[in-house]
Amino acid sequence: MEQQTFYYDNKIVKLFAYATILWAAVALLVGILAALQMAFPILNFGIEFTSFGRIRPIHTNAIIFAFVGNGIFTGVYYSTQRLLKARMFSDLFSKIHFWGWQLIIVCAALTLAAGYTTGKEYAELEWPVDIMIALVWVVFGANVIGTIIKRRVKHLYVSIWFYVASILAVAMLHIVNSIEMPASFLKSYPFYAGVQDALVQWWYGHNAVAFFLTTPYLGLMYYFLPKMANRPVYSYRLSIIHFWSLIFIYIWSGPHHLLYQAMPDWIQSLGVVFSVMLIAPSWGGMINGLLTLRGAWDKVRESPILKFMVVAITAYGMSTFEGPLLSIKSINAISHFTDWTIAHAHVGALAWNGFLTFAMLYWLIPRLFNIELFSKKLANFHFWIGTLGILLWAVPMYWASFIQILMWKEFNAEGTLAYPNFLQTVTQINPFYYTRVIGGSLYLVGFLVMVYNLIKTIKAGKFVSEEEATAPALEKSEKRSALSETAHRWLERKPVRFAIYIFIAVAIGGAIEVIPLIVVKSNIPTIASVKPYTPLELEGRDIYIKEGCYNCHSQMVRPFRSETERYGEYSKVGEFVYDHPFQFGSKRTGPDLARTGVVGGKMYKPAMWHYNHMMNPQTTSQGSNMPAYPWLAEKDIDLDGTAAKINAMRTVGVPYPEGYELKAKADLLAQAQLISDELKAVQINVAPNKELIALIAYLHKLGKDISIQNVIDTTSNPVKK
Amino acid sequence: MEIKDNERKVLIEDHDYDGIKELDNKPPPWLMWVFYLTVLWSAGYFGYYVFFGGPNQATEYSKEMAIVDSSKTDSLTKGLDENNIVLLKDEKDLVAGAELFKSKICFTCHGNNGEGNNIGPNLTDNAWIHGNKPNEVFKTIKYGFITKGMLPYKDQLSDQQILELASYILIKFKGSNPANAKAPQGTVIN
Repeated sequence: MEQQTFYYDNKIVKLFAYATILWAAVALLVGILAALQMAFPILNFGIEFTSFGRIRPIHTNAIIFAFVGNGIFTGVYYSTQRLLKARMFSDLFSKIHFWGWQLIIVCAALTLAAGYTTGKEYAELEWPVDIMIALVWVVFGANVIGTIIKRRVKHLYVSIWFYVASILAVAMLHIVNSIEMPASFLKSYPFYAGVQDALVQWWYGHNAVAFFLTTPYLGLMYYFLPKMANRPVYSYRLSIIHFWSLIFIYIWSGPHHLLYQAMPDWIQSLGVVFSVMLIAPSWGGMINGLLTLRGAWDKVRESPILKFMVVAITAYGMSTFEGPLLSIKSINAISHFTDWTIAHAHVGALAWNGFLTFAMLYWLIPRLFNIELFSKKLANFHFWIGTLGILLWAVPMYWASFIQILMWKEFNAEGTLAYPNFLQTVTQINPFYYTRVIGGSLYLVGFLVMVYNLIKTIKAGKFVSEEEATAPALEKSEKRSALSETAHRWLERKPVRFAIYIFIAVAIGGAIEVIPLIVVKSNIPTIASVKPYTPLELEGRDIYIKEGCYNCHSQMVRPFRSETERYGEYSKVGEFVYDHPFQFGSKRTGPDLARTGVVGGKMYKPAMWHYNHMMNPQTTSQGSNMPAYPWLAEKDIDLDGTAAKINAMRTVGVPYPEGYELKAKADLLAQAQLISDELKAVQINVAPNKELIALIAYLHKLGKDISIQNVIDTTSNPVKK
Repeated sequence: MEIKDNERKVLIEDHDYDGIKELDNKPPPWLMWVFYLTVLWSAGYFGYYVFFGGPNQATEYSKEMAIVDSSKTDSLTKGLDENNIVLLKDEKDLVAGAELFKSKICFTCHGNNGEGNNIGPNLTDNAWIHGNKPNEVFKTIKYGFITKGMLPYKDQLSDQQILELASYILIKFKGSNPANAKAPQGTVIN
């Protein structure tokens, strides 16, 4: 067979590696700022751009899409070329992909800081950025698939299976979850309403974890681990079994983010069972990784790179065992809305994604620069301080969550809540928020030591931009002979068919859960008294979303005594039919707000309280870690945009009458005047057109409609006596 | 790639990806059993809750509340006669009242020493918005005046606790002249 000579494109790998390091620094620093803000609210600085509600999405997006994203691309561009014995399909595509992705990250950071957000976690970016992501992702996909087509290796290796699954699934998730109606250049409303939006969002959100943080990294593990350890992969059969079971089952588990919430019970049950079934498929990856190191443990002792890999893979195993546990309803009932979830996520991100990326960089950079790593000692130091950092990060958060859970649920002998003031349960765990900052800082120090180590390596080495390789051309594909070739082996040399099967496997789960919820009416019983938001309430809702209130406040009272005693009637599916987007929230750093509009309810606060609280939360809630929002009393509502918002909302299905957009402004001002007057009566002067007025109107609408029809909890109502 | 002697028989000869070799080991049986058992468990779980009448979350909630309602009625209705409140004078009760004033959120609107702030009125002077008779103060705490900003505490405090609080306020604050006292509001009652 004639040998062909070709060149691997190392330049694109280098670019992505540099971007990974740069964005990791940014993402970690922003993370430490967010952690500091939770411990010391003064560090919100009283300005909107640095307020926690905007900082936290920047942190999560930067970690997932900037740090891990570029990490994926670094490894994929390096390994794909070598596994397929071909240069990337198109240098131009590679360039468009690289610069396009970096541009998206910059746009994301700027728009999120400025408050342009969809209010859907990990999908916060507004529609123009969504379109950029879709386009750049297609270029990436085309580049990888093009390389597969012109490959010189007959069969696709397991890493490539994972890459293809990730590319297809992420495209599907991103596009379906981002269907939204623009109201202006940087504001849109999702097509789905309330409960539907929640399901689509968590189908997306959970599988962003699956197909962005997990499957691409499994692909990287399958390439880099055997290379690093110089050992064969333990079990080809296990690769096949856990690959297919993982991608098929993962996609169903999204509803475990919505347990005991306003969501049909059958969907919740699907979320539970598919999460539990994920244990073995996930562990398949861990086992195949760890057993690949069988007989190489002496090397692990010597090599910091392998140490990073061992901790990463072990953490993956722990997280994927904890995840299914947290998806069991009785455990979720206590863990959800607490720092437990946050700890779970960070073990995954810091150890699995972080450490695997670091190992990859330590292995890759010296090879790209044709030199040894500058200092193994420093890499070892990085490993130990990073591990310590993760422990100091995670252990206090687990501990804090246990304390808070017990306080939330405790009743005293009289049958009332032992800690009726939510704030007590926050100040109690504040010390753990300090410790977390230390853990995060240690992790950052380790990272910076790596940066120094790599810079020294790069300085001493010489970059190999075009790496020469030879391989025979691909033979023409022959028919399958059942005797000498298993069906799967045959599939591995049929990439198009392989990709179609992958797509079917990842599409089924979502389709079975999402489509009935949108199509079958009986899944969402309507409540006649639930009315669309008035224009002022709608503007207030947009401010709630803009300031990222959902990052710390849920709007979802679960059907537990401990919650209905604290917040009021539990949330019903039919209450959210006009919510584009839904705002259930996923964490209670502050109390639930689902019933703040029920006059006489447990959560109702008058306008003047809200004013004082927003201006300086410490005056009404001493010791609170909520940031102040002074700008809300100064900034004007954009009255010129209201009509377009009404129109966009009507397009997605909210029954505003035709022509109402013309009346909206007058209605808005009339309602705002009432609140402004109410404040004036207690010597507080806020003009009716200020953002704060709209936000108060929104808070006074929340949960109110249902209480008109269904009088709240009568057991302690004085009317009865 | 380093292959050990005992691995030769499971080495798949024709698998070579950029030098990476694969072994044909069987997946660990225990792992496969974990998989089969979780599938089995899932089928049972889903069948029970979705097809065979397992409790849904609404019925679980009704059950939880039914147990609570039957057990808590005594303790909540054992309350006092709201129209004939007699203040507690025992130092122990007043200390309990002071604790409540600090641990519940009274102080956030009425100041640490009852001096009032930009939200709530001064509780130490002789001007009262909703009256200063023991039963009036008791009811103000218990049922609140929502529209004026005073929240109801009936769900957060037992009647006994409300009484301790009212006693503390009426006995300890009177004429205490705290710093930064807010100007009187309401009707002067001597």
